[in-house]
Amino acid sequence: MKKIVLLTLLMLPAFGAQAEYRKVSLTVFGMDCAPCAHAIHVSMKGIRGVDKVDVDLNTGLVVIQLIPGNNATMQQFNAAIEKNGFTHKDAKIVAVGKLGGTPAAPYLEIRGTADRYALSPSGQPADLTGLSGKTVAVSGVLPQVAKGKVPERLTYDSIVEAQ
Amino acid sequence: MKGLLLFTCFVALTSAAWAADHGPVFGYATPVNSQYEWSFDTGIFGRAGSHGAQLSTGSQLGYGLTPHLTLNAFLPGTFGSASFPETRIYPSGEWTAGASWRFLHSVTSVGRRTEATGSLAMVLPGPQKETGVLGQLARAPGLAGTLATGFASRSSYLWLGGGYTRFAQSEGDQRPDTLSWSTVYGYRPARLRRGYDQWDYRGLIEFTGEHTGNVRLRNTVQAGTGTTTLWLGPSVLAIFKNIAIEGGVQGPIYRDVPQSIDGREAVRFAINFSYLKYSAHANAH
Repeated sequence: MKKIVLLTLLMLPAFGAQAEYRKVSLTVFGMDCAPCAHAIHVSMKGIRGVDKVDVDLNTGLVVIQLIPGNNATMQQFNAAIEKNGFTHKDAKIVAVGKLGGTPAAPYLEIRGTADRYALSPSGQPADLTGLSGKTVAVSGVLPQVAKGKVPERLTYDSIVEAQ
Repeated sequence: MKGLLLFTCFVALTSAAWAADHGPVFGYATPVNSQYEWSFDTGIFGRAGSHGAQLSTGSQLGYGLTPHLTLNAFLPGTFGSASFPETRIYPSGEWTAGASWRFLHSVTSVGRRTEATGSLAMVLPGPQKETGVLGQLARAPGLAGTLATGFASRSSYLWLGGGYTRFAQSEGDQRPDTLSWSTVYGYRPARLRRGYDQWDYRGLIEFTGEHTGNVRLRNTVQAGTGTTTLWLGPSVLAIFKNIAIEGGVQGPIYRDVPQSIDGREAVRFAINFSYLKYSAHANAH
């Protein structure tokens, strides 16, 4: 319940039917010192559409908040980490996009980017009947993939219509 | 920009001979620049002993060509006429230019990585003549190679490294081959493992050693001019985002040097300032 309320709050600005990443939380391995974190901060801020970046050296967590109307891609976030010599693990995302496919094999398209993810539930599957073709707000986890690649599957925690 | 890169390629030395940046100030270490990152180091390095004192300044420019390949150029300046043994682990009067390649990079957990870096550099005679017995030699370029490995974490650092420098002959003269090595341990106390928007401190213990061969003068090897020295001392590194200040001092723990030529070197110290300019360049999609 808490998750849904939080997601709804995060999605409020998305009700203009923009489709994009709203928040990306990446776990980064290998950062040991202040310049490492600063490098990640500078690289992320260089991506158009990034509003705020927080880096926690002790947990390795990099949290990126994006402005509405952005068209930043997962590949850009990953590249910003890789060019600094670090490795990214799973990424938690909050995104708005178009739900495609069928209720049995749904996928999410982030408009303005080439990012498209097959969706699978982290727990009990959401009832996607009636959401096909609509703009939805999704929170979930993208698994770690090889350098230069973008995951194909998003394990979602929740999906709600963004109108 | 292209011209500057070319200059770096042709004139550069490697960080091999001088770690600094955000590693140790005396010993070898593995860090290289991020892709498209510029780094600028400048410092003052002192040596003092029974045959006088010598102060060097050195500035190093680095550029990260890829996340694991950095080009470096080092421009020195020396003051003082003291006579000291040849050193390659410590900045001296040569210009150097080269590249460092981090060929092993393993990130195993949050804040921790294990890596190994090799460097190769051209060493070119600078505008200033050396002092002491080295000042009597016709100068020629050399080649320096180093290898360093170790791990970095939020709490501890450990680096092991070694280097070898060989100079060409010129007019029957040749500077001695130099073998250098170092072990560095660093520690950041728990209460200083803070956010990156605060000053980041760590303390290091740096052990360095060098063995130099005999000097060749007028086609004759000068027996008894070889040296072996071991040095140990603390250093402290303070970093705020992309600015680093580091200082350290070392004392000798072993000296096998011809005292009539080189005297007894008693202390080495270094103060270094680093500025790191990270790239905000983002790949378009």
